Formats: sequence, C-alpha cells, structure tokens
Amino acid sequence: MKKALFDNYTLGFRKPEKYVFKAKKGLDEEVVKQISGHKNEPDWMRHLRLQSLAIYRKRALPPWALELGDASFDDIYYYVKPIDHKADSWSQLPDEIRDTYDKIGIPQAEKKFLSGVSVQYESEVVYKSIQSMLAKKGVIFLDMDSGLKEYPDIIRQYFGTVVSPSDNKFAALNTSVWSGGSFVYVPPRVSIELPLQAYFRINSERMGQFERTLIIAEEGSFVHYVEGCSAPMYSTSSLHSAVVEIIVKKGARVRYSTIQNWSTNVYNLVTKRARVEEEGVMEWVDANLGSRFTMKYPSVYLVGRKARGDILSLAYAGRGQHQDAGAKAVHLAPETTSHIISKSVSRNGGRTSYRGLVAIPRGATAAKSHVVCDALIMDRSSRSDTYPIMRIEAHDAGVEHEATVSKIGEEQLFYLKSRGISGAQAQSMIVNGFIEPVVKELPLEYAVEMNRLIQLYIEGSVG
Amino acid sequence: MSIKRQKSGKGEKLTITNLRVFAGKKEILKGISLSVRSGEVHAIMGPNGSGKSTFAQALMGCPQYTVRKTGIWLGKRNIVDLPTDERAGLGLFLAFQSPVAIAGVGVLSLLRTSYQETHRAAGVDKVRSPFIQNTLLARRWRAAGLTVSEFMDKVKSRTDFLHIDRSFLERAVNDGFSGGEKKKSEMLQALVLSPKFAIFDEIDTGLDVDALKVAAAGILKLQKGGSGIIIITHYQRILRYIKPDFVHVLVGGRIVESGKADLAKQIEKEGYGKYINNEKSII
Repeated sequence: MKKALFDNYTLGFRKPEKYVFKAKKGLDEEVVKQISGHKNEPDWMRHLRLQSLAIYRKRALPPWALELGDASFDDIYYYVKPIDHKADSWSQLPDEIRDTYDKIGIPQAEKKFLSGVSVQYESEVVYKSIQSMLAKKGVIFLDMDSGLKEYPDIIRQYFGTVVSPSDNKFAALNTSVWSGGSFVYVPPRVSIELPLQAYFRINSERMGQFERTLIIAEEGSFVHYVEGCSAPMYSTSSLHSAVVEIIVKKGARVRYSTIQNWSTNVYNLVTKRARVEEEGVMEWVDANLGSRFTMKYPSVYLVGRKARGDILSLAYAGRGQHQDAGAKAVHLAPETTSHIISKSVSRNGGRTSYRGLVAIPRGATAAKSHVVCDALIMDRSSRSDTYPIMRIEAHDAGVEHEATVSKIGEEQLFYLKSRGISGAQAQSMIVNGFIEPVVKELPLEYAVEMNRLIQLYIEGSVG
Repeated sequence: MSIKRQKSGKGEKLTITNLRVFAGKKEILKGISLSVRSGEVHAIMGPNGSGKSTFAQALMGCPQYTVRKTGIWLGKRNIVDLPTDERAGLGLFLAFQSPVAIAGVGVLSLLRTSYQETHRAAGVDKVRSPFIQNTLLARRWRAAGLTVSEFMDKVKSRTDFLHIDRSFLERAVNDGFSGGEKKKSEMLQALVLSPKFAIFDEIDTGLDVDALKVAAAGILKLQKGGSGIIIITHYQRILRYIKPDFVHVLVGGRIVESGKADLAKQIEKEGYGKYINNEKSII
C-alpha cells in the first residue's frame, strides 16, 4: 500500500531518465546540502533549507489529510536536475493525454510544451520582446533560482515572510527542497497590462515538483500572474508541493490565476498566501481540475486598513480524485473586506471538500466578509463536504455565509433535452453554467479551454 | 447545401392514439386520442387538475410519467419510446408553463445549441475531418447549416418581432426572469427553432394584454410557417387573438368534448361546470 501511492503513473508510462544530477531517494541533510550546493546558494538559504527540514520532520500531517496517511515520503527523489527536455518525445506520452490534446484542438507546438516534451513554447523572439518591455518598466521576472543569484537582497528581505517554514508540514518541505518557480518584482506605480505567464520564462526548469514563487507588488502597482494550463499536464513525479508568497503593498493590486490540471497520479499540496497592505487588493482565481489529491487554500492576510481580498475557487473531481480546496481570509486591520466564491463539481465517484476560514479578531473593526460556497454533485457515487470555520471576535463585523449543495436537477435536464440537447451535453451545459462565475474571471483563452474540457469530461470522450 | 430535417412543412401529421399516462400508480390521462395536421391550431381547454400539463409533458417524454403502450405518431413513426431529445430532433417542441432556471447558461447560447441539435443534417455528425483540430466545434457549426451571422440575423429578427430587448439574449435562461419574460423566452425559442409541432402550455397566464397579443402573433407566425399548434389553456383569453381550428375539452383525464372555435366561446360563458358534473355522475 505504501509504495503504490508513489508508483509510476498507472498507464505505465515511464519517462526516460535523463538527468545531470539526481539526489538519492528520500530526504536528509545530505540531500538538502547537495541541492543548495548545486545551486551555489548563499549560506543563509542553505541554513534556511536545513532549518526547514528539521521542522518538516517534526510536524505532523494535517489531521484531514487522510489520503496521505499511508504515503511513504522516503521513497521518492527530492531533487533531479534534468538535462534537455526536448530530447523526450511526444509519442512517449500516454495515449489518454495525447488524445485530450487532439480533442481540445491545441497546436502541436503548444502540446509539446504542455506535455513537458519541449521547454520552448513561444519563439525566442516573443520571449525577448516581453522581457524588454518588462525591463523598460523596471519589472523583474525570473525563475526563482536566477532571482536568488541576481537579486539576493530582495529575496532575502521577503522570502519566507508570508509563508514561514513553520506554517505547515508542506511549507517546511518546500522550503527545504524548493527548486524553480517565479520571482516577480513590480516597482511602485507600474502597471503591467499583459498577464505574466510562467511559460514566458524559457530555458528554466519548468513546473518543478517543489516550486517556490515570490511576487512583490510595490505601492500602487498592478500585475496579473497566470500559472498552469487547462489541458492536462503530465508529470512523472507524483508529489508536488509548491509555495506561493505574495506581498501587496499600499494601494497595489495583484491577481493570481491558476488552472491546475495535473495528471491523476499527482498529489498536489500547495500553500498560497498573500499579505495585503493598506488599500491593497489581492485576487486569487484558483481552478483545480486535475491531480489525484489536492490540498490548497489560497489565503489573504489583510494587514492594512481597507485592504481587500477576493478568492474565487473552482474544483472538479472525477473518478478517483479528491479536491480539498478552499480559501482563507484573515482580517487583521479595520475596514478590511474579503469575498470568497467557491464552486465545486463532483462526478463519477469524485470527491470535493470546501475548507474555509474567515477570521476577524478584535480590533479589525468594521470588517466585512462574504462567502458563497456552492457544490454540485453529479451522481450518487460522488461526494461533497463543506468545512467552513468562522472565528469572529470583532463585534461590528459583517459576515455572510451562503452555502448550497445541489444535484443535477431532473427538471433542468428535461428542459434542455426538450430543446434537442442530449443528456450528456445537457449535463455539461449545466456544469459550465454552474462554474461560470469563476471561469469568466480567467483569461479568455483559458476560459474557453476550460469549458471545452468540462464538455469533454462529461460527454464521455475523455476520462 | 443546408439540409433542414426539421423545417416545418405541410402535410405532416401528429397522431396521438389512446394515450394513457401514469404518475406512479395514479392514472392521470385515461386514453387521449388526437390528430393534428401541419398548419392547424388545436386548443385544449380544461379546469385545473384535469391533466392538461401532464398531456404536454408526456408528449415531450417527461421521465416523471410512465406511458402505457400506446401511440404518439409523427408521420409514420411512433415516437412513444424515443427519448426527449430525439423527439425534439424530429420536430416536437414544448413551451413550458413554468420553465426552470439554468444558471450561467445564456439565452443565446441555449438558442444556438438547440438550433444546432435540432437542425442537424443526418450523417454530418459522423464526419471527423483530420484537418479540423477542434472536432467538437467543427461538428456543431457545420451541422447547423447556417453561418454564425445568418443565425444571428434569424435570432435578431425574432427578438424584434417579439419586442424583446436584445440584451435579453445575454441573460441566463429563466434565471430571475419575471413570469412574462419566461413566456417570451419560450416563444422566442419556438420561433427560432420553427418546429413541426409546437405545444404551448398555458402561454397566456401571467401576461398582460400587450404581451398576450405579441404571444398570439408569434403563434400565428409559426402556424403560417406550417407548424401544427397545440395551445393548452385554462381560460380562452388567448383564443380571442387566435381562432383555433379545433377545441377539445379535457376533464378528468379524458377529452369530453371536441368542436370548433365556438366551443371555446361557449365555455367562456358557461364554464366547465356541466362537464365536471358529468364526470362526477360517471364516477
């Protein structure tokens, strides 16, 4: 049982092992030192990694992470430095994934990027023009490893200040073995209209297992960061644990959109948090379609007066999947507001859980929070649970919580069928309609792909 | 090139023979026979609880009801065992009395999808061109037989005809609609789909006089286009604006009397009293 959890992907696909360096299986101080050594990191980072390892060992799993109870974390590789990804071949991907790409109709070049066959998505030219546009505005956009080399002072000032290694077991794990991820710095009053996407950074390790992302938005700035993609992402490594830290300074606004669609062998345990200062705005748009088990609760810590946090969360769980997703809003200043919308769909024995926290301690006067949490259960074998926690101590807090659980209605199905629409298509229309409030916030091309994917899943062509 | 299988046309016939419908063990319709030709308007009138809505829903194949082996013939084909969506594909349409809301699905999106599904030329569905990457989209648009702009023109002309503001098309189907808006939305769908046979279940309730006139004009337009029409109504309000070819009185799950347009006028004057008394005396 223990081994089975981190076995290779069930379809029997095995990516050819080509790497420059590979640490031994399991995790100990030697492995962590090796990682840091390979990257030529400053001492403080090596110490932080080692401290985090100690915390990781001490901390227990979250009590609700039942799926992980049997997992043997010693049986995996924590650091593999790959060589040229392009050497891998498109034809070696599982049929299921290639099939999905064909059906949603994405171009060959993009397919190769998405599937990890190629690192190079856009041409060098596009990449360079974006980088020069950003450079003109003084924006830094690098992978985290390069960021640490080029801007050690900025990183040292902020790294681990929003998500400390002692926050939870997986934050500690990530801090001790992180590799890759993005580093974004936006100077005061700079607005970047074009959404920044991880694939603009080429020649970096893409979508690693333990990504670490840090975004700093200085006063009055704006940036939209997009990660992931709606097409299924194949990963050979079954444990993914990322940390995203965002600092939103006075009057700044950051939007962070995620479309997570890992293949269903992946355990995806992510800590995402933003600290929002006075009159700053943080918006999380977080869509989870893939993975076997996801635990992810994008959070906002509203530390300045009138800071605002909006969290839109979407989860789809099909056969063998459990999406434990949600949102946290911690109000630590007066007149702060949070708005949480969670939509989940479970189908074919899938399970979704909403786990949410709204905390308004004394002192956070006139704070407001509004939570809407809707679950759609498609059949009898599927399941949905809601675990909302409200810790409200301020007397004048305005808190609203609405939750609905619905099943696909016979009446709705009959109505759509009476318009000539088949049962399966009617279901996908109902589901796409249900998730529309979240999907419409995604960049258009992602929203379109998302709708097509839901359609494919439900109309039975895939998965 | 476009093949419109469903286009309303002359010479079609919808024949219902001895339709018996049960909700659980309870028999609601106790043997209804009716024959409607293209271009005819039939009114089915009856008091509350007489089985009018059940009749409409059963014709469309509502899974809530079971139907005792009987016949619903569309031309030479008995559709009584066909699922609802296939009945619609063959040209049957039901305007619901109180249609259900579907959050996040826009009126236009529903119109487009249902148009594509009901006007699909046989065989096109199976075409899978290796040159078209997105097979889902390719299949649907080719199947519709209209280009996107032709379809939009069609929709716009129908919204204008019904005095519906075009912003209506962007709203979610029946979501937060007033009673009148729901009826207009049903009417709009009927006009865009132009089915062979359309059943209107209490299209006149909750409409003011102006809206009623518009609904009646819609039905007449369909009739002119060759659709066979069944209007189900409690009152004969809408029948002031549409002269039905036939009127049937449905009481206690049976058609107790059939006649011409003047039967509706007679009911307006006298009510359903005499039929209900008859019914009681039978029991």
